[in-house]
Amino acid sequence: MYENKKIGFLFVLPFVLGVLGFKLFPFMMSFALSFTQYDIINSPQFIGLENYEELFFKDPLFRKSLWVTLTFVAISVPLRVGFALFVAHVLNFKLRGINFFRSAYYLPSILGGSIAAAVMWRFIFSQNGLVNIVLSKVGIEPIAWLADEHYSIWTIILLFTWQFGSAMVIFLAALQNVPTSLYEAAEIDGATKMQQFFKITVPLITPVIFFNMIMQMVHAFQEFNGPYMITEGGPLHSTYLLSLYIYDQSFRYFNLGYGSALSWILFALVGGLSAFSFFTSKYWVFYSSEKDHK
Amino acid sequence: MAQLNLKKIEKVYPNGFKAVHGIDLEIRDGEFMVFVGPSGCAKSTVLRMIAGLESISGGELFIGNTVVNNLAPKQRGIAMVFQNYALYPHMKVYDNLAFGLKLSGMKKADIDVRVRDAARLLEMDQLLDRYPKQLSGGQAQRVAVGRAIVKRPEVFLFDEPLSNLDAKLRASMRVRLTELHRTLREKGHPSTVVYVTHDQVEAMTMGERICVLKDGTIQQVDTPTALYERPANVFVAGFIGSPEMNLQEAQVDADGAHLVVGGCRLEVPAHRIERLKTQVGRTVKFGIRPEHITAGGHSEVAVQRVEGTLRFMEHMGSEVFVHFTLGDKQFTCRVPSDQLGDLAPKQRGDKHHFGLQMHACHAFDMDSGNNLFL
Amino acid sequence: MAAVLSSRDSVASDAQAKRTLRGERISSVVRYVALIIVGLIMLYPMIWLVGASFKSNAEVFTEIGFWPSHFDFGAYAKGWKTSSEYTFATYFLNSFLIIIPKVIVTVISCVLVAYAFARFEFWGKKALFSIMVGTMMLPLIVLRLPQYLMFKQFDWIDSYLPLIVPSAFATDTFFVFMLVQFLRGIPRDMEEAAQIDGCNPLQLLWYILVPILKPAIISVVVFQFIWTMNDFMGPLIYLSSVEKYPVSLALKMSIGATEEVEWASVIAISVVALVPSLVVFFLAQRHFIEGATSSGIKG
Repeated sequence: MYENKKIGFLFVLPFVLGVLGFKLFPFMMSFALSFTQYDIINSPQFIGLENYEELFFKDPLFRKSLWVTLTFVAISVPLRVGFALFVAHVLNFKLRGINFFRSAYYLPSILGGSIAAAVMWRFIFSQNGLVNIVLSKVGIEPIAWLADEHYSIWTIILLFTWQFGSAMVIFLAALQNVPTSLYEAAEIDGATKMQQFFKITVPLITPVIFFNMIMQMVHAFQEFNGPYMITEGGPLHSTYLLSLYIYDQSFRYFNLGYGSALSWILFALVGGLSAFSFFTSKYWVFYSSEKDHK
Repeated sequence: MAQLNLKKIEKVYPNGFKAVHGIDLEIRDGEFMVFVGPSGCAKSTVLRMIAGLESISGGELFIGNTVVNNLAPKQRGIAMVFQNYALYPHMKVYDNLAFGLKLSGMKKADIDVRVRDAARLLEMDQLLDRYPKQLSGGQAQRVAVGRAIVKRPEVFLFDEPLSNLDAKLRASMRVRLTELHRTLREKGHPSTVVYVTHDQVEAMTMGERICVLKDGTIQQVDTPTALYERPANVFVAGFIGSPEMNLQEAQVDADGAHLVVGGCRLEVPAHRIERLKTQVGRTVKFGIRPEHITAGGHSEVAVQRVEGTLRFMEHMGSEVFVHFTLGDKQFTCRVPSDQLGDLAPKQRGDKHHFGLQMHACHAFDMDSGNNLFL
Repeated sequence: MAAVLSSRDSVASDAQAKRTLRGERISSVVRYVALIIVGLIMLYPMIWLVGASFKSNAEVFTEIGFWPSHFDFGAYAKGWKTSSEYTFATYFLNSFLIIIPKVIVTVISCVLVAYAFARFEFWGKKALFSIMVGTMMLPLIVLRLPQYLMFKQFDWIDSYLPLIVPSAFATDTFFVFMLVQFLRGIPRDMEEAAQIDGCNPLQLLWYILVPILKPAIISVVVFQFIWTMNDFMGPLIYLSSVEKYPVSLALKMSIGATEEVEWASVIAISVVALVPSLVVFFLAQRHFIEGATSSGIKG
């Protein structure tokens, strides 16, 4: 029955239609639009590579936005993945109450993407917000988190990192898959806990580290809610991620051609980095096959 | 000195369960000691306590002259071979062997010498560049053994190392490991070995002495032959030897010189009668090994003839296991195929004369299980 | 024969004993302390927020402690009414009007498609599967604009259709992937037995697989509920009438263009906005984390 190709195809038809209609077709349309000038009212006009020329050579805002985005990704992703791994490791212990901690750390990653959380974040980083109150109690001068262009990016970095729970849960599962007997053999070989972590644990979970890194990188490049709500891209565009720029161009100013070109640059960037990661992964990712020694 | 001494070793788990009840055992320097017993008898627990992977709740553990209860595994001078080999999958075989030595700060050149020596000893020179996932079960097991050898430990610990291998491989590895131990001793590197298994064949063939465990207590510690010929209780008698010893209830006759089993009156050897004095008129557990029952034919040893009813025969090739009943009691005997004689054509339900070698029989107390004849 | 025990030997190992025992206890304590500190930092913003919703404005800006000196429910009343012509009752209703249909069509379509991928053979299966995995990593933003133009053509702007309909075609590939992985782990024995009994594929799916898939389906429901609740860009792009705004847009509106923010009421209403997600999360907690780890997760 399962070999009946027609039934299988029938079941998967909605997906085929969905992918064609809602993903592939818009994808190609976006590509085509990037070569046009289009403002919704009039029909699109083909202008060749003008959009791309403009954004690469004549648009300082693009360069600033690109720089902000790259900085954001370069800092947030390692922080998030690193925290997730560290906490998962600490949590991977025969502790009572492990479930409580796991849920507690996981919660922000679910609620964090919400507008409510962004509102809350904006509030606690405001001039008289919680963070500054804490700092002043410790004797540090309050920081104008939202108004100072040097500090504002940290608010969104912290919001992103705060949501490390999802990556942590995956690490936890991977850590629990490492057989205890390996640690025992290492203990007998004389390895300290630290040596066991770096020489046994980490090498064996490199596939998961790789997976988390890629997924988090893709999410970081698409971060929108946080910056939009908290800083609105400011001050002085210091938190103006590419996603915000694309939104503005496409839906506020209705430069649809230019917006499409921008989104394609973002797509190419993410695609390129992913491809690069895959390429270099074979040098450091170790895949063990579950070989049964029977 | 690498002798091991366990004094009143106990293990109690946090939930209150007492797994090991006061073990007293002395393992001599260079000895191959086997821990054997059914699952749940705590043999692995005791081994892990020796290794330092489980804490010792009570008693003292000596390695050499030192009390090692609170020492870390590395400090005890032990090496362990795990049931599932526990090879580091992301390291080549060479690095698996070298890992412990590297951690202890040994020089590269010295490490190389040791690793290659061990590889030669175990005939795995060509495997050094491979990864564990490229190895067969037997090869992986050899690497695990090699990892232990390179450390030159005081004590080798084996935790059911052959259970994951198929029967044929198990047999050849058994021989290899036993030879290794004896060879190392001849060369002047005697190694004390504690070997845990649930397979009594492994125990009998490999051990110089065997410690039989049940429910966390020692049943008997002795050489294989002694365990076979003089089991201390019913449990050891039934555990050692394959096929199992025949164990059936028997009545001690009023005259104290006969045992009645399944309606057959058996003469007790003269030198044993003294031991049965306390059991006159009562029931005991009668034990006799299948190899000490003949199928009627010519026997060099004195036998007691009985008539039994044939149930069925298992032909093993070189020998036959003959299952029969005496009255309502079931017995098994082993007969070499060429000595079947007139038993061969007989059918289920037919009668046949069997011979019991009474000098090799045992009687066990029904309550304590102890061997009355010892 | 007992080995001769020199008192010096036992003293040496005693010192080591104390060291290892102390080491073990310290590491336990350190772990707990670290976990509690991190946990507090993680959760404190939210705990504080809840407390702040009951405080007076002045207290909010001066105290670290989250427990208010007296409980003031005023902020809640004010926030609920909002400064627009609709109360949050409307906005919550709108959110549910989006979420509930979306969750239903998501579950149905994703289960069907996952069933196809996990059990059937059909033309182009490999290619489609690769596309599915590929689109999981696609930056969705590149599709936003063309999709908007498409929906404009259909005249679906300012309705909930653009938010719900794509999910009916299993375009939430993450869920399809998760269900496929789950299905792959289920042995086919029961299905084969049912086949012999004469079941057709749909009956198999409904009577045999769906009950076993329950934990995974619950995960899909929970995730889709919370993500849709949090969805901001979608409604932002497609909805123009305020009366149709879901909670996420309404919250943004309450912060609004002015610099003067009624923080008390905004905080109160943020807390309320988080409640449905929290409730759903805790109700299905067990299944949630199992489902997330079996295939990887979107954070």
